Amino acid sequence: MFWHNFRYFIKSGFKSGNLMFWMILFPIILGIFFKIAFSDIYNDLTSTEPIPAAIVENEENKVFRSVIDALNDSENKFLDAKFTDENTAMELLKNGEIDGIIYSGEKISLTVAENGIEETTLKEFIEQYNLREKIITDVITKDPGNAEKVISELSEEREIIEETPVTHGNTNNFDSYFYNLIAMSSLYGSYMGINISTKNQANLSALGARKNCSPVPKGISLTAALCGSFFIEFICSVICVTFIAFVLKIDFGNRLPLVYLAAILGGFTGVSFGFFIGSIGNMKENTKDGLSTGIIMTLCYLSGLMVGNMKAVVAEKAPWFNNINPAAVISDSIYCLNIYDDLDRFFTKIITMIITILIFSTLGIIMTRRKRYASL
Amino acid sequence: MENTVVKISSLVKRYGDLVALDHLDLEIKEGEIFGLLGPNGSGKTTTINCLLSLLTFDKGEIEIFGKEMTPSSYDIKKQIGVIMQNVAVFEELNVYENIDYFCGLYIRDKAERKRLVEEAIAFTGLEDFKKFSPKKLSGGLLRRLNIACGIAHKPKLIILDEPTVAVDPQSRNKILEGIQELNKNGATIIYTSHYMEEVEQICTRIAIMDKGKKIAEGTNDELKRMIKNTETINIEVLGLDEKITGEISALPHVYNSEYDGAKLTVYCSGGKHNLIRVLDVLQKNDIAFGRVYSELPTLNDVFLEITGKALRDKE
Repeated sequence: MFWHNFRYFIKSGFKSGNLMFWMILFPIILGIFFKIAFSDIYNDLTSTEPIPAAIVENEENKVFRSVIDALNDSENKFLDAKFTDENTAMELLKNGEIDGIIYSGEKISLTVAENGIEETTLKEFIEQYNLREKIITDVITKDPGNAEKVISELSEEREIIEETPVTHGNTNNFDSYFYNLIAMSSLYGSYMGINISTKNQANLSALGARKNCSPVPKGISLTAALCGSFFIEFICSVICVTFIAFVLKIDFGNRLPLVYLAAILGGFTGVSFGFFIGSIGNMKENTKDGLSTGIIMTLCYLSGLMVGNMKAVVAEKAPWFNNINPAAVISDSIYCLNIYDDLDRFFTKIITMIITILIFSTLGIIMTRRKRYASL
Repeated sequence: MENTVVKISSLVKRYGDLVALDHLDLEIKEGEIFGLLGPNGSGKTTTINCLLSLLTFDKGEIEIFGKEMTPSSYDIKKQIGVIMQNVAVFEELNVYENIDYFCGLYIRDKAERKRLVEEAIAFTGLEDFKKFSPKKLSGGLLRRLNIACGIAHKPKLIILDEPTVAVDPQSRNKILEGIQELNKNGATIIYTSHYMEEVEQICTRIAIMDKGKKIAEGTNDELKRMIKNTETINIEVLGLDEKITGEISALPHVYNSEYDGAKLTVYCSGGKHNLIRVLDVLQKNDIAFGRVYSELPTLNDVFLEITGKALRDKE
């Protein structure tokens, strides 16, 4: 009887267009969207091409000129600067051949035609130059005795903020959106969990009433449906991660099997969470679906799916919440894999998920196994 | 002597202050098509839900096949087929899969189940729709699928709760014929409806319910014999005076007559040839008349006489 119920639950699950849309198609579509949206930005950010700019000398500034010459001559130059007159510079800017015009004189200023990564970089460069120039000028004017020390400290600043890698993993910030996407698609398993409660409770559906009239004990029926949901979720998670890893080519390093594990357990978390929600009260299935969607979206929002730094904000204000928010736990587990060399933190997240699955599933079964109802 | 299949004793079900079932007693014998008739809200579905152990109840006892019915009475449940008021099928599965799924909850053997599913499909006339999803079926076909899912395992007791609601006349007739055939094949049927014509047509015994109480019980004829009216004569006739209507009212077995200027209605209680006697009076007085028809009492008349209200509004 278990297998009969299990088999048909899987069959009806895979035939449900609605379910398959949310659990497979939606994450894939959103993943493609993310890839298109973020890859350009990421490429821009990591671009090694020097930024073309024109230098117009309003007044002679030997120091600035020597800085530009040094930059032009450096091996990893970020600036491709040419000295020219203002009219030519304006023409070049208008034609899009340069990203900005730097006016050199007593004060260094910048003119750009539009906003973008390159323009922001130029602006940052000019601000840094002006700031340092002011510091050095002030020191030389007011406290010449300390000039050598200040100049030396300014030169050493770079060494102070030198990168110290904690991992050899992928630290592309945009990839965290894909981790959250996996977390969100895993939590969509909750629709299936709600479905288990609805289709097995006489007070929630005619189907539930008919099943309750059959000679199959409710425990068997519920267990078969729960196992069926886990199986469907397993397949959906594998498809989703495979698509993200191999089609969208998101780099999970050499820990892809563990990403699959995290996504699958995340999916099971979603199913059990939905089963728990579905077991509460006697609201209609659509109401429960809406409630579940609202909760999932809130959890995903708090885990940083919609706003990148939200997880950090939550970590600061209520650090405990990220440890129980299923969306944060799932995305964190994948994030850990890509950031940390040791797996302790990853397995802590995995254990958290297993505990969550057990708690939600047990509560769901306890609340759903009631055999007679006060009203239908 | 026929075995008792269902015995409900002094069943009470309350929803807060509302008494949905008020000390209901029912006894249904093997081989019967037992009709539960009553207006919406009379307690028919509540009775069925209590009978199936879906609902808790405040007082009373329910026995099916001589054993107490509880949610864990799986041996009893094996022998029951249920056709709910609302269609209860999986939208994602096709016709064959739906029937196979529900039949599989009762029958483990695959070969036997396959045979039973095919029989249920043939019985409900769904042969051409095996691969159809329920969404693509018409209302009537969907109801037939609902029935097929409930009867495929060949239950001894079949409970049908208003199975013909929102069904076209052709499908309704097919369903009613099917129920009679199931009964002929040995199943005991409990049939609830607020359509008195259906209950009159197929039920061998009927209980009429109102406000959670059984107000009458018996065969169709027994119920009709409970009331005074045995025949209602209607004659389309113009220009009758009080003398003639008085003469008709004075005829033997006539206990009341009404005349609205165009139609004469004569209510009779017992007796034979009442219509001939009424027509004789009209002919004797040289009164020309149009359409003449005689109506036997209906269950609605029974309900009307017992409760003082019509069984249902005309639909």
